[in-house]
Amino acid sequence: MDVFFQQIVNGLSLGGIYALIALGYTMVYGIIELINFAHGDVYTMGTFFSLAILTGLGVSGEVHGIALVGVVLVTMLAAMLLCGILGVLIERLAYRRLRNAPRLAPLITAIGISFILENVMQLWRGPSPVPFPDVIPNPSYALGHVLVTAKQGAVIALAILMMVALQLFIYNTKMGKAMRATAQDRDAAQLMGVNINTTIAMTFLIGSALAGAAGFVSGVYYGTTWFFNGFEAGLKAFTAAVLGGIGNIAGAMLGGFCIGLIEAIATQYIPNGAQWTNVVVFSVLVLVLIFRPSGLLGESLPEKV
Amino acid sequence: MRAFAKIGAARPLIGPRPELPGLLAPIGPLALIAALFVAAGCSAPRTTTSQSSNGGAETIKIGIDLPVSGADASTGIPTRNGAVQAIEDANAKAPAGVTFAAYDLDDAVQGAHDPAQGAQNVRSFVSDAAVLGMIGPYNSSVAQAEIPITNDAGLAQVSPATTNPGLTKGDGATKMRTSHPDVNAFFRVCTTDDRQGAAGAQFARKLGLKKAFIVDDNETYGKGLADVFEAQFKADGGSVLGHEHLTKGQTDFKALLTKASALGPDLIYYGGTTATGGGLLRKQMRDANMGSLPYLGGDGISDAEFETVAGDAANGAYYSVAAPEVSKLPSAAAFVAAYKKRWGTDVGPYSANAYAAANIEIAAIEKAMAANGNKLPSRAGVLALVAKTSNFPSPIGPIGFDRNGDTTNPILSIYKVANERPVFVDQVDLKL
Repeated sequence: MDVFFQQIVNGLSLGGIYALIALGYTMVYGIIELINFAHGDVYTMGTFFSLAILTGLGVSGEVHGIALVGVVLVTMLAAMLLCGILGVLIERLAYRRLRNAPRLAPLITAIGISFILENVMQLWRGPSPVPFPDVIPNPSYALGHVLVTAKQGAVIALAILMMVALQLFIYNTKMGKAMRATAQDRDAAQLMGVNINTTIAMTFLIGSALAGAAGFVSGVYYGTTWFFNGFEAGLKAFTAAVLGGIGNIAGAMLGGFCIGLIEAIATQYIPNGAQWTNVVVFSVLVLVLIFRPSGLLGESLPEKV
Repeated sequence: MRAFAKIGAARPLIGPRPELPGLLAPIGPLALIAALFVAAGCSAPRTTTSQSSNGGAETIKIGIDLPVSGADASTGIPTRNGAVQAIEDANAKAPAGVTFAAYDLDDAVQGAHDPAQGAQNVRSFVSDAAVLGMIGPYNSSVAQAEIPITNDAGLAQVSPATTNPGLTKGDGATKMRTSHPDVNAFFRVCTTDDRQGAAGAQFARKLGLKKAFIVDDNETYGKGLADVFEAQFKADGGSVLGHEHLTKGQTDFKALLTKASALGPDLIYYGGTTATGGGLLRKQMRDANMGSLPYLGGDGISDAEFETVAGDAANGAYYSVAAPEVSKLPSAAAFVAAYKKRWGTDVGPYSANAYAAANIEIAAIEKAMAANGNKLPSRAGVLALVAKTSNFPSPIGPIGFDRNGDTTNPILSIYKVANERPVFVDQVDLKL
């Protein structure tokens, strides 16, 4: 049983990272119905930005006390800001002109942007894995026989915190209302005086900033990154968003945690399970879509009637 | 030592056409050969006088194709030096009616080994009737381009350093012998990657480890390594608690390590490369409270990248390399000293291998000459004798070739990472 709970912890912390990326996927899809394939690469970009900031701050090892809080906050916020700006730029330069084009055009463009980002990162830091400094001390706490490291706790907490903050933002602010309106009916929202361009740009800003946060977290958590990281993570996060109900904030979170848990449990309980994790994850996805085509929680958030 | 780097750097078989500098490149080595002729000339008169009845000395050339410029030069030049030293030693022994000369070409183009250039060099050897054998190449990808040519010409080719198993075994090897599928002209004095699994298992048992948990990356190299390890470890009395395969792109191994940890292994064996998860797996072992557990892999994790990715968690990890550590071999002591005296530098990882390879060819040529009434032997005659090599004394131990052309004397070395640097710990001798 200890092993089971240990795997739950492993699954939740892995799922937390998927969830953070999935939030951005689901927001963008919710508002312009675009599957933003470049999102996974924006997330990897977040790790590279964090790395550059840490290098700039001269941090190369563990930091303690007040300095730790400062370093983490500065790095994460700066990475979020940079990724947010990157997201807005991508939207402005690549997607905006195609907003009324057939849906395939922006989709292909998204794949193109993904290639561009991957190659930029490869040119920037090379094709090999890049080490990320172990900024955060990582003591582990034993809950019974279950071992939880500080980093695992932080990942799970951060994912939930971000989701709650996002939910509050969307339901309690004017911009959030504008986003929901745009998602529901772009033309009507425009007639009601909503600035569509600003609203969509804002969505990209927030979604990409979350990817930036996920990038920082994954860098700290895994201690390494490489330019192609975003492909696999992006695919899983996209699956998480679909599993939870694409366009649904809480669904993205739930989907992320579910996929992390499925991977951990499948690894543990299927003989030679590690190689079957993806098969299990995508089988579950297929089953969920057969019986609940709109995902676990449904495409509820943008209130598509 | 870092044998993996050679394999990792696999390049397309048909590289870019050599530009002008590439075409001119052989001129440098030619000057060197000219110098060698002069050097060899000093000993030539003695041989001529002793064999005056034979009507003068023949010059027999041995082709040497190695990367001796650019990024590969640091290992290529010491390897070349080993082969040249064997030729000089042979001449110093005043062989009957013959002078050996090195026909030395570079297969690096614009700083990196190039299969197309290698093939062109081998064609140069083949078209020179005085060339009766060749040494090289250094890289498996270059060997792939060269094997069909030496096979066609029946020219004995002995490589000091190519470790890819596919060069000598399996369908791929048969396909490379295009002109004469039933004749093998390619031999190597180094062992192959696939022997590393067995070496790892022997070493693990020597450390007294009994319960292994095996992880591999599901690729040709990694899975092959892990399967051989598993079979050998069981045969040596160890038990295998689990054998898991990673999926491509996986970065989170906590679930896998939790599963492994619950089974209580005393060793984690990893078959694969650093890039496919070897470094991260080691790093995450510490988070899973398994940081003090021994971790063993093949030369896929022998790159500096491993220490970079795993950081200080790399310490305590072991890996095998498919070559002997010459500085630790008693049989190599004399060669190591002579090499230092001749070249003024320490031996490279494959210098002794090249020395052994050249000596095997020289011995075969001398024997073929004797059988041919001291006249220039045919390439086929030399090839047949090279193929029959067995128990040939060399710095890296007695060498023989099996029917695939692989050495029957596979010696591998084991390194341990300490202070994020590899340190030699043991030599494993896998007698067939």
